[in-house]
Amino acid sequence: MSINAHPELPEFDYVRPATLMEASRFLAEHAGEARPLLGGTDIFVRMRDGFYHDKYLVDVKHLDSTDELSYDPQRGLKLGAGVNMNRVMASPMVQAHYALLAEACRSVASYQLRTRATIVGNICNASPAGDTIGACLVLGGVLNVHGVGGYRQEPLATFFRGPGKTVLQPGDIVTSIEFPPAPAGAAGVYIKLGRNTWSDLSIVGVTVYGYADAGRASGYRFQAALASVAPTPLLVPALEEHLASHPINAEAFRQAARLAQAACSPIDDVRGSARYRKAMVRTLTEKALQMTWKKLGN
Amino acid sequence: MTSQIEATSAPHPIGDSVRRVDAREKVVGSAMFADDLQFGAGLLYARIKRSHLPHALIKRIDTSKARALPGVKAVVTGEDYAGHIGLYLQDRFIFCRDRVRYVGDPVAGVAAVSEEIAEQAVELIEVEYEPLPGVFDPEYGASPEAPLLHPDLGQYEVANFIFPEPGTNISNHFRIRKGDVDAAWAQCAAIVERKYRIPHVQHVPIEPHVATARVDENGKVRLWGSSQSPFAQRNLIAKSLGLSQSDVQVIAPYVGGGFGCKAGVSMEALAVAIAMKVKGRPVKLRLTREEEFYTAFVRQGLVAYFKMGCDAQGRLLAMENRFYWDGGAYTEYGVNITRAAGYSSSGPYNVPNVKTDSYCVYTNHPVGGPMRGFGMPEMHAGLEQCIDELALAVHMDPVQFRKINCIKTGDTLVTGMTMHATGLSECLTRAAEAIGWGRKEPPSAPNKRRGKGIALMWKAPAMPPNAGSSAKVALNEDGTVTVSVGGQEIGQGSFTIAAQMAAAALGVPIDWVRVATPLDTNYSPYEWQTVASRLTWSMGNAITAAARDARRQILEMVAKAWNENIEDLDIIDGKVISYKSEEAISLKNIVIYGIPLPNDQGWVGGPVLGRGSFMPTYVTGLDAETGQGPRAVVHYTTGAQAVEVEVDMDTGRVRVLRGVAAFDVGKAINPEMVRAQMEGGFVQGLSTALFESLQLKEGVLQNPSFVDYRIATSTDVPPDIETIIVEVAQDDGPWGARGIGEHAMVPTIPAIANAIYDAIGIRVGAPPYTSEKVYLAMLEAGLVEE
Amino acid sequence: MANHRITLKINGEYEQVDVPSQMTLLQMLRDKLAFTGTKNGCNAGECGACTVLLNGEPVNSCMILAVECQGAEIVTVEGLAQDGVLDPVQQAIIDHGGVQCGFCTPGVLISARALINRNPHPTPDEISEALVGNLCRCTGYLRIVDAIQDAAARQESLAARL
Repeated sequence: MSINAHPELPEFDYVRPATLMEASRFLAEHAGEARPLLGGTDIFVRMRDGFYHDKYLVDVKHLDSTDELSYDPQRGLKLGAGVNMNRVMASPMVQAHYALLAEACRSVASYQLRTRATIVGNICNASPAGDTIGACLVLGGVLNVHGVGGYRQEPLATFFRGPGKTVLQPGDIVTSIEFPPAPAGAAGVYIKLGRNTWSDLSIVGVTVYGYADAGRASGYRFQAALASVAPTPLLVPALEEHLASHPINAEAFRQAARLAQAACSPIDDVRGSARYRKAMVRTLTEKALQMTWKKLGN
Repeated sequence: MTSQIEATSAPHPIGDSVRRVDAREKVVGSAMFADDLQFGAGLLYARIKRSHLPHALIKRIDTSKARALPGVKAVVTGEDYAGHIGLYLQDRFIFCRDRVRYVGDPVAGVAAVSEEIAEQAVELIEVEYEPLPGVFDPEYGASPEAPLLHPDLGQYEVANFIFPEPGTNISNHFRIRKGDVDAAWAQCAAIVERKYRIPHVQHVPIEPHVATARVDENGKVRLWGSSQSPFAQRNLIAKSLGLSQSDVQVIAPYVGGGFGCKAGVSMEALAVAIAMKVKGRPVKLRLTREEEFYTAFVRQGLVAYFKMGCDAQGRLLAMENRFYWDGGAYTEYGVNITRAAGYSSSGPYNVPNVKTDSYCVYTNHPVGGPMRGFGMPEMHAGLEQCIDELALAVHMDPVQFRKINCIKTGDTLVTGMTMHATGLSECLTRAAEAIGWGRKEPPSAPNKRRGKGIALMWKAPAMPPNAGSSAKVALNEDGTVTVSVGGQEIGQGSFTIAAQMAAAALGVPIDWVRVATPLDTNYSPYEWQTVASRLTWSMGNAITAAARDARRQILEMVAKAWNENIEDLDIIDGKVISYKSEEAISLKNIVIYGIPLPNDQGWVGGPVLGRGSFMPTYVTGLDAETGQGPRAVVHYTTGAQAVEVEVDMDTGRVRVLRGVAAFDVGKAINPEMVRAQMEGGFVQGLSTALFESLQLKEGVLQNPSFVDYRIATSTDVPPDIETIIVEVAQDDGPWGARGIGEHAMVPTIPAIANAIYDAIGIRVGAPPYTSEKVYLAMLEAGLVEE
Repeated sequence: MANHRITLKINGEYEQVDVPSQMTLLQMLRDKLAFTGTKNGCNAGECGACTVLLNGEPVNSCMILAVECQGAEIVTVEGLAQDGVLDPVQQAIIDHGGVQCGFCTPGVLISARALINRNPHPTPDEISEALVGNLCRCTGYLRIVDAIQDAAARQESLAARL
């Protein structure tokens, strides 16, 4: 934040389109000066700080199925863009099948902020520190995007282009995120290292997800995603490959954690140094793997 | 030493934990804070043009575009006000004139019909600077190589106990020369020498600064603000603007957290200066949280060198301390922190030979000001770690070492003053006992290690020798009592103890007492400032005197009416009673209307109005070369804290599992509020120990928001903080009381540092002891592998 | 720029307000309707002093536009007491000494009320976690946590008697 942060939000127009197509067209016509609005918890901070200068905020929370939270054993979980994090956490379906997602939400800011904050908003901000993004990545999240040309899908794995940058084009509105059905017995862990016990942004965030998978030599599939240690939220394919092809034991986890450490490229900033972050990626990845292993019943 | 000198049987409700008098209005949302006051449609909004450079000459200011913006009512710059301002050293202008000295220094101010227009106008003000080299380290700043930040230091008006060194950046140099340090080193069995760097931190009240000023056509100033110091503000603003103090009225509603940052004058003068140019219209200036971080008072940074030695029996023989205080761009208030640290530089220990040099140094950092503890948390942070190290160097238990050396009643202090009755030894013993000193508890997990730490503290109210208090006690028709004070309620409970003391001294039930709010320098009696943990003691004395004055008036009236001796009368529970005639009369009505004499023979009495004042008259000056004098301060509050921590070897995270706080408060007027101070102070101390620092890079703040300036949340505090009240009476305190506000956070940093050492055997260095810092220190020491 | 006319219910009473797009709920409450019990501590969703209930759930009122509250039901600290009788969280925080300067108190009370509404028997850890978005610089939190636990117990015994 700057010393010149605005005391209040600067002037803009709040726009509430009647349909998704109207919203997409408006956003496309006002490229560079309009932004879709979900919870607003990041947008407002950035506007007050003079970082965003949009003339229009286009409220898309009420459109189409953005308010939907649904689960189907065959199709999986669908979270509308407007579904706030507290609702995600409280959902028995999420708790039963995607506990990792609830755990990630719990680490975000405070309860009252999560009444507004959304997972889709977290994703669209494309912050490398986004706490829920790791879970969404390892759970195989796919975004439903509505643009001027209608609907399309964007897999999360190829969504991020850099800090704050995504593949979205003017007019694009992410309306929901979908997750395939979780493999039976899958388990995951999100370890967030912040400066405070709760509520802080992460210095390092490590998401690990694993399940028994007969198709792999080790009999297991493990994935890891890292927060705050690269320009974008980071999946670690090398870790997945290592644990697919080596017998699962403490040494394999240790080696996998080293691979995660090698994959990341943290920087020094006000929250932590690159050196500490590197060290923590190894330590916490190993710990998260062990915790996941335990959760898997081992 | 004896445990407790019991204050002579305290009357009701002294020593009772009565409910806060301000609690109900605070829980229903009706308590008024400065930003809640309504000023109607005429209100103008101010914004400030601030320097983005840490040090530069102002070559040109062009305000023409700003003035031309519709809705702008006034633009003010340093051109408009030539007067200096400052508490102990007048080294500031209200708006910068020739140069800027920190990022955020006010260069111009605007009043406009809306905050947005004021903002736009500020952006239209053009300032041309010539950047100058900066000073970002106090030790460098004190050296002859450093660029001079205040060439006019020699011309500034200064209090007679502050010693600036013109031609340098040293705005105060306080010396202690007691005994012969050089000779003493040879006698020492062990000597420890250490350097500590304590970072800048901030008070972080949840309520940001806000002030509204209005200047009448006749030049009379009215200022509404969130203020710990309405009278000091009246005085300093009047002096700077060339006004009479009686023409400046400061109105101060509840303060949403102060901790020192709302003492003295800071942004309030800006609002007044702008309002002078738009007479008749109120002008409101509120700081954003970001401005608050950049421009409100900060706790000065400190670079401290300690050298201390003891003999083989563990008796402290000598200390040699050098403190370089990072005073920031202006040290008008900070110079006295330097002094306070100097005259307390032995810590709460009896040391025969002491040499101290405490330097207040100008830097191009944010302005240092008073913060809870006034130099003591910073100084004790290093000193109490050194004491631990010295104890270990002579193979003594740190608690035992402290028992031998800590200040006791009658000791000769570092300034030559004789120590009054103190319960420090008892605080130490009981804190150690409560934490289970000497017992190592098993960690909660294999990758964790536990440790315990202890630290002592002392602190005197730091103020001019003659800081005064006054109070009025007026009675109402129904017998209720209105207490007027000039001391502020900043959360510490001053209004509640004011009511308790008035009730006790007068003899009425506590719920008959009201405290006149808000503070208003036109109607409230004088109080120097709500700082230094001095209100319970100093304002308390004034209230007690005022209540006794009212009581005397009532008893004289009744004695006359009943034709009895005053000695036979008493006021109990709101009634005057006679022990002789066993008559009783309620205060109701008589305290306003008097009492009719029999047979329509006229009346006695009249409206009862008690007045009381208190000012310490016994504090002496200290020799400029040696810091010696008979009575340096009014008194010291002493205490101890002990903690148990657990260090996570995987991450370096330190968790405080338990805390114990034991302080000698003389007499707890309201024990639960005393405990609340001890708890809140402990957590603020914990927060500075583990999380807080203003990260300054070449004078530019890197973490000016709650996002990156982290403070302790509800999940960072130990589930239990045990509080121990020790009561060794203060001879001139009301019912023996002395203050406990600041003290509660003074020993927390070193207690935690000592506990971390106990857990992992490492001295981590400068606070805050973040997980990163601890982890990297463990890495360095080979305790963990990279 | 556009003004919007919105209707909403605040502390049980309907209000119709004209608000510009960029006006936050906090600004509207404080500056338009004089519900000054709700405090502005950071205007960035970090300190929690501005917490109010929006349709029963706590939100940072600085982080929501007034115009987004069309048709909503808001409860501020002024709406907690009913007919002069304090809400159990208000009474408990007084009794436990959980108030000092009082600036964070309105937000704390709203968070506490919301917590007890969704979890009538919160543990101390659950209370602390629910308060993580309410910064307090005075109390050290312990008395606030005690008060909320006590308030939940009092509310239960009150309910049992009815």
